[in-house]
Amino acid sequence: MDAASDPQAAYRAYGPALVRKAERILRSREDATDVVHALFVDLIPKWNRDVDLPYLYRAITNRCLNVVRDRGTRARLLERESASAAPIGRVRLEDQVVGVGLIAALAERLDEGHLQVLVCRFVDDMTQEEIALHLKLSRKTIGKRLDRIRDEVISLRGQETAS
Amino acid sequence: MSGLACIGEPISWLRLEQFATTRDPAIASHVAQCPACKHCLEEITADLVALPPLVGPEARPARTWWKWAVPAFAMAAAALALIVVIRPRGEDSAREDVVVVKGVGEVVLGVVRERGGVIRQDVRSFAPGDRWKVVVTCPPAASASVEVAVTEAGAAAADHPLMPATIACGNRIVIPGAFFLTGTNKNRVCATVTSPGGDRGTACLTIAPE
Repeated sequence: MDAASDPQAAYRAYGPALVRKAERILRSREDATDVVHALFVDLIPKWNRDVDLPYLYRAITNRCLNVVRDRGTRARLLERESASAAPIGRVRLEDQVVGVGLIAALAERLDEGHLQVLVCRFVDDMTQEEIALHLKLSRKTIGKRLDRIRDEVISLRGQETAS
Repeated sequence: MSGLACIGEPISWLRLEQFATTRDPAIASHVAQCPACKHCLEEITADLVALPPLVGPEARPARTWWKWAVPAFAMAAAALALIVVIRPRGEDSAREDVVVVKGVGEVVLGVVRERGGVIRQDVRSFAPGDRWKVVVTCPPAASASVEVAVTEAGAAAADHPLMPATIACGNRIVIPGAFFLTGTNKNRVCATVTSPGGDRGTACLTIAPE
């Protein structure tokens, strides 16, 4: 039976990878597991065989961004983030490993499309070509969005220094 | 481990996850030489994820149109007749689980029940041990703060089992936290929604014991 044949098979096959991905964003295994479980519960009634790991990766990114945008949950995640081990951070944004705090701060300044690119590049460590393929956008658009993300991080740092 | 750097362009986590099944030689070659990517792959292979059981609403098989259309038309006609004949004049037709708040828009209150791993979004009855979550649907782009109060029939005061939460609106946004209902009386679950401008409204629904 292939992984996409039914929700249960896909949950078993892709669930662990998705929990790890959500955990890299949320820095909490418990919240990551909740997000993945909720996604599959919602997908059961509308399941189709086109669901694959990249599709679920995109869906989990959106779900995690919603969690980070929620101010109540965000406060709890930020508290936990400070206590969790720093991830390896192979791709850094202005020499910074992207975590809940930075995503939350950027969520106040950037739209959904930019945040998706942020997660693809600095959390999932995708190349620009890979992001373009993953999000079905042009390479040029990805480059522009990354430039805007960097500008916002520099602006954020400037504000922090000033205050 | 935050000091490890890749020797070139890192292999993305998605490709590393897929490597377990595809065994791409290009990735194998990179991982053999790159301590950072090798470490990430080892993290994946060594990781054990305990997933909760997935039990949810069953996917329903497709039905031919007439199987649902005939009863649906019959029921619609009966409902229309009932509305025309029975509905008293001046009756308030507003749903109590829906409230319109200035600065937020239409807010729909809902609940989700978890019983022994089975999640239902369409029930309003409780038994001891059921776990309940509150969900709110409101127009995207709005934000609102939500305060949940649960009042048991006959009780003098309401309980506030969930922390007040500020949410970014969307479809069925889950208010953090969950609660249990006990006793043999009906419970009214109300969500007071406040817009950033301070306008507020309350939507309620009733959960009855089984």
